Amino acid sequence: MSLKRTLLLSSALCVSGGAGFAISEEVGIGPDIPGMCSFEAIGAKDYSGRSLNIITHAIPVIGEPTALHADHFQRLTGANVNVVHVPFGDLFQRIMIPFQTGQAAYDVLFYGSLWVGDFHSYLAEIPAEFQENPEMQAVTATYRDVATWGDRMLQFTMDGDRHYLKYRLDIFENEEIQARFREEMGRDLTIPATWEEYNEVAIFFSGWDWDGSGETNYGSAEVVARDDLMFSAFISRAAPYAKHPDVTGGFFFDLESMEPLINTPGWVRGLERFIEARAAFPPGGTNFGLGDEIFSFGGGQTLMSYSWDDAFIQAMQEDSPIRNQVGAAMLPGATEVWNRMTGEWDTFDEPNRAAYITWGWTSAVAEASQNKDMAFDYLCFFANGANTNHDLQVGRFGVNPYREAHFDASFWSENMGWEDATAQSYVETLAAIDGHHNRVFDLRVPGVGQFMSSLAAGVSEAMAGQRSAQEALDSVADEWRQIVERIGADRVRDAYANVVALEDAR
Amino acid sequence: MRTVYLAIKYTALLLWSSFVVFPFLWAFSTSFKTANAVTSGPKWIPWLQFEPSLQGWRSLFGGVGGTDISGPYLNSVIVTFSASLISLTLGTLAAYGLSRFQFRAGPIRNADITFFFISQRIMPPIVLAIPFFLMLRQLGLLDSLAGLVLVYIALLMPIAVWVMVDFFNNIPRELDEMAWLDGCSPVTTFFRVILPNSLPGLVVAGMFCVIFGWNDFFFAFTLTFTQTQLLPVAIVSLNSSVTPWWSLSASALISIAPLVLLAFVVERFLSRGGLAGAIR
Amino acid sequence: MYRQKYVFLLPGLLVLVAIIIFPLLFTVRVSFSSWDVFNPGLDYIGGRNYARMWADTRYWEALGRLSVLAGATVLIQYVLGFALALLVWGDVRAKRFFRVLFLIPMMTTPVIMSVIWRTIFHESLGPLNGFLRAAGLSAQPWLSDATLAFVSVMIVEIWQWTPFMFLLLLAGLMSLPREPYLAAQIDGAGPVRTFFQVTFPMMAAISVGAILIRLIEASKIMETVYVMTSGGPGTATETSSYYIYIRGLRDFQLGYSASLSLTYLIIMIISLTIIAKVMIRLLVKDRT
Repeated sequence: MSLKRTLLLSSALCVSGGAGFAISEEVGIGPDIPGMCSFEAIGAKDYSGRSLNIITHAIPVIGEPTALHADHFQRLTGANVNVVHVPFGDLFQRIMIPFQTGQAAYDVLFYGSLWVGDFHSYLAEIPAEFQENPEMQAVTATYRDVATWGDRMLQFTMDGDRHYLKYRLDIFENEEIQARFREEMGRDLTIPATWEEYNEVAIFFSGWDWDGSGETNYGSAEVVARDDLMFSAFISRAAPYAKHPDVTGGFFFDLESMEPLINTPGWVRGLERFIEARAAFPPGGTNFGLGDEIFSFGGGQTLMSYSWDDAFIQAMQEDSPIRNQVGAAMLPGATEVWNRMTGEWDTFDEPNRAAYITWGWTSAVAEASQNKDMAFDYLCFFANGANTNHDLQVGRFGVNPYREAHFDASFWSENMGWEDATAQSYVETLAAIDGHHNRVFDLRVPGVGQFMSSLAAGVSEAMAGQRSAQEALDSVADEWRQIVERIGADRVRDAYANVVALEDAR
Repeated sequence: MRTVYLAIKYTALLLWSSFVVFPFLWAFSTSFKTANAVTSGPKWIPWLQFEPSLQGWRSLFGGVGGTDISGPYLNSVIVTFSASLISLTLGTLAAYGLSRFQFRAGPIRNADITFFFISQRIMPPIVLAIPFFLMLRQLGLLDSLAGLVLVYIALLMPIAVWVMVDFFNNIPRELDEMAWLDGCSPVTTFFRVILPNSLPGLVVAGMFCVIFGWNDFFFAFTLTFTQTQLLPVAIVSLNSSVTPWWSLSASALISIAPLVLLAFVVERFLSRGGLAGAIR
Repeated sequence: MYRQKYVFLLPGLLVLVAIIIFPLLFTVRVSFSSWDVFNPGLDYIGGRNYARMWADTRYWEALGRLSVLAGATVLIQYVLGFALALLVWGDVRAKRFFRVLFLIPMMTTPVIMSVIWRTIFHESLGPLNGFLRAAGLSAQPWLSDATLAFVSVMIVEIWQWTPFMFLLLLAGLMSLPREPYLAAQIDGAGPVRTFFQVTFPMMAAISVGAILIRLIEASKIMETVYVMTSGGPGTATETSSYYIYIRGLRDFQLGYSASLSLTYLIIMIISLTIIAKVMIRLLVKDRT
C-alpha cells in the first residue's frame, strides 16, 4: 500500500517536472542509473490515455519482472499497461494465432529466442536509437548475435542464457569421498571434463547417502520429460560429439544439401550416453521437467545437473540448503568427435567442448503494434541499468548475465553474499561460454517447433527402450526430411545460413 | 451376515471417501509450503514437519510474485452463469420438442437431431481454436466476455439437450395429452404443466453446464488477450518453468469453492426425492 | 397445433448451427490446405494431408491406445459409480455427506488438478511413494514406467469422472418405481437376484446414455496426459487428442491437424453409433 502511494506521489512529481531519480530506490529497485531509459528519463514521458499490451511467461520466471517493471512504467508514464502471463508450453501458439490471423493482439512479446525463425516476419526492427544506446552496446557479442536475424536486430536482449554444468562443490572437495572414489574407480575424483566422465561420476554417486541427510542421493538430474525442453538437454549432450571445431557448414543440417545430420554417429553417441545416464537418475528422473530438475539439485538430492542459470541461482538463494556449496563449469566435452567431412572419428587430447547458446528469453515488439514508440520505451526501461542489476539478483526472475559488466565476480559476492570461489567459478564459466570459439545455436529456422518436437519424440522413444538410438534418430532424420520438403529446402537453408554464419564466424 | 454386509459397506464408503479427499488434503498441506519444504520430501503436518508459510495463498491475491485472481474470478462467474443459463433455456426447449414431437427432414429423424446436438462435444477443441478466433474477430468479440459466452453456448447446449431429452422421455406423455384435452396449446402445456415438474432435471443439466463452463481452459485461453481473463487462465499464469506447488495447491482449493456449494444444492434436490418426484 | 413444435426445437438448433457451422466448414476446408506455421493461408493441396495421415503410425497407435484408455476408464467409472450410487441409495449413515463428497472431484478444473496429481505421483517428493516407503514397501516408478504411467493417468481420470456416473445413476435409482421391488420381495428374491432382475434392467437406458457421453468426454483427454507424462515414457501414454494437440498447436501444422481431427470425428461417430446400437440391443431389449 505504501509502495503504491509512493509511486503515485512520485509519478505526480515527475509529471510536474520534479526529480524522478529517487523513485527507483523507493520502489526497491536500487539507485537509478543514468541512461536513455532510466527511471528519470522514462518519468519525463507522458503516455497517459494509451494502452500497452504485453504477453509474457508465467510467474515468476521472466513473468514477474515483466509485471514489476510494467507496474513502474505505468506509474511513471501514465500509460495503461496490461500484462498476460502464459505457461511456456502454450506461449508459442498464443502469440502465433494472432500473428497468423492478422490481429494486433500484443504490442510487446516475451518469448524463447529460438522462435525467431517463425516470428521474424511479424516483428519490428529495433530502431537505430535503441541499437546505439550504450546499454545495448554493452550487450556481449553473443547475445547481440542471438537478437539478430540476418542483418536486422529484431529482438531486444533482456536475458542471457546458456547451458552449463552445476555440481556439488562440497562433495567434490570432500576428502573422504575423494578417497572412496579413488579406491573404487582407480582415478582421482575430478569435475567431469567429458560426458563419459560425467556418466561415470554420476553413476558412482547414485544410490547411497553421500551427504549424510538420511536420504538416498543420486548422481544426475536432467530435463528428460518429452515435451518439456528435453530437446535442449539432448543437444547439450550431443554437441561435443557432433560439433567438430574444424568442420563448418552446419550442425543440424548440411547447409549445402540440407540433408539432416541428426542421425550421424556423433549425434547417435550423444544419445547413447544420454540413455546410459538413466542409471544415475533419481526416482522418476526420466520424467523430470525443468522444475523437477531444479527441485532435485536445489534440494540436495543429486550431485550434478546441467541446464540454465535458474538452477544455479536458485541453489544460491539465501534460504537454500546448499548455498555456497555449488560449483559451475562448462558442459563436459568429448575426446572423440565425429568429422563428417572425412567420415571418421577424430581424437582430441584436450576434450572438445561446444558452447551451446541454448535458446533464452528475449523480447520483441510486434510489427502490427500501434504503439511501437511506447513498446520500445518499455523494453528499454525493462533492461535499464538499475532494473537489470535488480533482476539479476532475484533467482526466480530468470534474468541472467548478458552484458560485459555482469561477468564480474564482485557483483555477485558483494550484492548477494556469495563466497568468492563460487562467484568466481560462476562468472568464469559464463565468460568462457560467451567467448567460446566452438559455438552452437538453436535451429533458428521456420518450423523449429516441428523439428524439435519430432526430435524429442525420437529421443524419448530411445530413452524408453522402444527403439535403439540409431533407429530412433534415423526416424527423426526421416521426419526432418519431410518437414524440410514441406517448408521448402531453400527457405530452410536461407534461414539456417544465418545460424551457420554465426557458428562459423569464430 | 448382516454385520459382515455392514462392515463391507462402510469400509467401501470410507475407502472411496479417502480416495476422494486425498488430493485435497495433500493440496491443503502443500499450499502452506515453501520450496524448501517441498524439496525435503513428502511432508504433511505443518509446524511438526515443516515451517508453514502463507506465500502460496498470498500470491493469489496480488501478493509479491503472484497474480490477483479476484477479477478473473468475477469474469468466470459471469461467463459461466450466463452461458449456462442461455444453453439451459435453449437446450430445454429443444429437448422438449425432440421428446414430444416427430421431426422429419429427408432421412433425418429425431434421434439423428439429438445425436447431432451431442456430437458437438466429440470434436477435440484444438482445431476449433483458429476458426473460432477468426469468427470472433469478424464479430469484434475477441478478448471479450460476450465472445466467450457465445463459444460456451456451443459447448454447453449439447449437454443440456442430452440431459433434458432423457429427462422428458421419462415424463409420461399422458401429462401433456391431458393438458391438450383441456385446451392448452403445446407452448402453454410446456410452461404450465411440464416446466414446473422439471426442476430436478434442470438442476442436473444446469450443474453439468456450470461444471463444464467453469472448468474450460482451452477456449478461455485462446480467445482472449489481456483484458478478459477467466479463472483457470489466471491460475495457470502461475505455472512457470518451476511449478510452484504451493500456490497451485491453494488455487486448486479456491477455484472449486463455488462449485462445492453447487454440490450441496444438487444434493438437496436428490435428497428430497425431487428428481424422482416429477416422474411418478 | 403441431406447428408449434418448431417453436421448441428451432431456437436452440439454429443458434447452435449458427455458432458451429463456420468453424466446422472452415476446419473441413483447412484440412485440404497446407496451412502451417510458416505458411498461413488456405491453398489447396488435395488429399495430401489425408494421405500423410494414412502413413502416420503414431496417430493410429495413439488412437488404439486411446480406445483402451477410454474404454477401460469408462467401464471402471461405470462399475464404481453404480456401486457407490447403490451404497448411498440404500440405508446409510451420513448419507447426504457422502453424496456431496462423492460429487466434488468432478467440480475441479482438470488443468489444475493434473498438476496436483503430478505432485502426488512425484517419485521422490510425492506422498504416494512416501506412504509406500513408510509401509516398508518399495517406491514405484509411477510416471516413468510405461504401464504404471498409463495406470496413473487412468487413476486420475477415474478420480475425476466417477462422480459423473455416480450422479446420473443415483438420480436414476431415485426415480425407480417401488412396485417391481415389492413384487420381487413377494417372490422371495435375494438382493443379488433383485439387482439383476429388477434394478439393472430398469437402469439400462440411463446407463447407455451415461456411458456414451463419458466415452465422448474421456476420448478428449489431453491436459492430464500433457501435465503428468507429456505422452511418455516414449509414446506410452500418447492419446489421439494429445497427439492432435502436439501437431496442431505445438507444431502449428493446422492443415494436418484438421485432417487428423476430422478423421477422429468420423471414427468416433461411427464407433459410438455401433457401440450405442450394441449396448441397446444387449441391455435394453425388454424396453422399446
